[in-house]
Amino acid sequence: MILDLERFQTQAGPRWSNLESLLVAIEGRPDRRLNPVEAEQLQELYAQAAVDLNRVTHGALAPELRQYLERLVARAYTELHYVPPTRSELWQPRRWLRIFTLFPETFRRQSRYFALSMLITLLGCALGGLAVRYDPAAVDVLLPANYLRNPAQRVHEEEQAKNQDRHSTQAEAAFSAQLIRHNVEVAMLAAALGVTFGIGTALLLFENGVLLGAVAVRYTQQGFGLFMSAWLLPHGVFEIPSILIAGQAGFYLARVLLRRREDRDVRQSMREWLVLIAGTAMMLAWAGVMEAFFSQHHEPVLPYWFKVAFGGAELALLTVYLVLIGRRKTDAEADNRVPAETK
Amino acid sequence: MTGSQPMRWATTAELTIATPEGVLFRLPLAGPASRLYAMLLDIAIVLGTVNGIGLLIYWIFAKAPGFGVMVITLAEFAIGFAYGALLEGFWNGQTIGKRLFHLRVIDQSGLTLRIEQAWVRNLMRVFDALPFAYLVGGLSVLSNPLMQRFGDRVAGTLVIRQSPLVAPGEEFWTHQKYNSFMDYPTVAMKLRRAATPELASLIQDALRRRNELASYARREIYRELAAYLQTEISPFPDELVEMLSDEQYLINAAGVLFGDQRLSRLHG
Repeated sequence: MILDLERFQTQAGPRWSNLESLLVAIEGRPDRRLNPVEAEQLQELYAQAAVDLNRVTHGALAPELRQYLERLVARAYTELHYVPPTRSELWQPRRWLRIFTLFPETFRRQSRYFALSMLITLLGCALGGLAVRYDPAAVDVLLPANYLRNPAQRVHEEEQAKNQDRHSTQAEAAFSAQLIRHNVEVAMLAAALGVTFGIGTALLLFENGVLLGAVAVRYTQQGFGLFMSAWLLPHGVFEIPSILIAGQAGFYLARVLLRRREDRDVRQSMREWLVLIAGTAMMLAWAGVMEAFFSQHHEPVLPYWFKVAFGGAELALLTVYLVLIGRRKTDAEADNRVPAETK
Repeated sequence: MTGSQPMRWATTAELTIATPEGVLFRLPLAGPASRLYAMLLDIAIVLGTVNGIGLLIYWIFAKAPGFGVMVITLAEFAIGFAYGALLEGFWNGQTIGKRLFHLRVIDQSGLTLRIEQAWVRNLMRVFDALPFAYLVGGLSVLSNPLMQRFGDRVAGTLVIRQSPLVAPGEEFWTHQKYNSFMDYPTVAMKLRRAATPELASLIQDALRRRNELASYARREIYRELAAYLQTEISPFPDELVEMLSDEQYLINAAGVLFGDQRLSRLHG
């Protein structure tokens, strides 16, 4: 069939204009919602435009007209099949506060990936610790920074307050922001490396574990175990678990990608990933503040036992938060909330 | 609405969506160059905003510069990610750069981008930007038929071109007072049937861009096109063709191909 384009365009043109006007009106609204009359009208005009497109595709050499109709049909298809979130939801404080319960709920739902993160990090710790313990040559390789290689010198400097310039409130504020930014970037990278099917995430966690194990053994070997605990615990009890949770997000992403053909509820899957990253960022913000304002102060300013006890208390609170918050609600809604990929 | 998923497949430059209702439409994919330009513009906007806010913060915290640095460091970091995610999520899949370069991020099934997808594709930039200058993301775009960087693959999104379109106007060659090719309806019919859409577009483009072409290039292109149509597609009588310039030959051919329906009416 050869289409009489001129007549066709004359007849169908008003329909297309109506559809375009309706789409412009809908797209210009903040919530882009349709009332029943508009929905019916849109459905009808979409169906007619789709038929027109089909006629042009098969019955005429009219590339520009086809392109125009394709665009029109695509826009109408989008509006018919999907209702985007409203902008007003962005400004609902209760919605944002939900993150504080969503995070531990998600953490528990995907806890097996946290266990995997912890296992890999512990393996790294063991390797780093054993290497430093039994192979002195490994110290230079595993601990490149001088302050990590020579605990005695570091402890002396810190206790004599030789880094006093870093301890003004001003400097600590700037330092804390840099720490937060750097740590969040590393955590996001660990989570994003899940796209390498978890291999990149595993390598990053393992490297982190090796460094941690090497430092712990080096300081303990030379009799500075208490100093190291007091130095690391106040911020480390948040920083280290947050990197583990970032790894958890990375392994979760790897699993989602591997099972994507089976699991089509990508929206729910990606929401879980985002919640884990948001929770990690919150934890790292706290860790950054603690590291800059608290961890860098040593005896005689702050007794080591106090810093260790403070770190222990923080860890207990974090554990309670991650293990208990939202548990009752989660149990009640378990059937509805378990994402497809864990079924 | 139907619950079944739309089908999709991609050629090198476009994505074809087949909706559950059986409607087929194509979406032109954005190339790496236009995406790069849009990204550079967005980076410039973010840097400008951050620096503007920075000056304000330094002024506010003049007596406590450490706090100023803290606020700027965190603001720069947050704005860098939130700019793309919030604008794409709530502004029709477009940042300012994308809107100026007529690009749009959509769900890979042809639907509107969701806010979760916008956040995921923007957070994944930390991976796509590795090891420097978006090398990983760039290689991913070049190696993927849907031109997706890794962030797009994870979020299930893609970037399309969305230049403004208006319903095509009536071209001058479809409304000539007289088209000598119409005196030979059988040959003209053969031309309509044998010409592919690509060939028709080529003729249309060649005529449209007449004034953009250098005269020698125009002569050569028109000569080759006319010769091809005459020898390979539909040979009009020599006595007619000898009287026409190559350009007039193409104008007449376009009149046959695009919209002069006297031919249809003759055969109606």
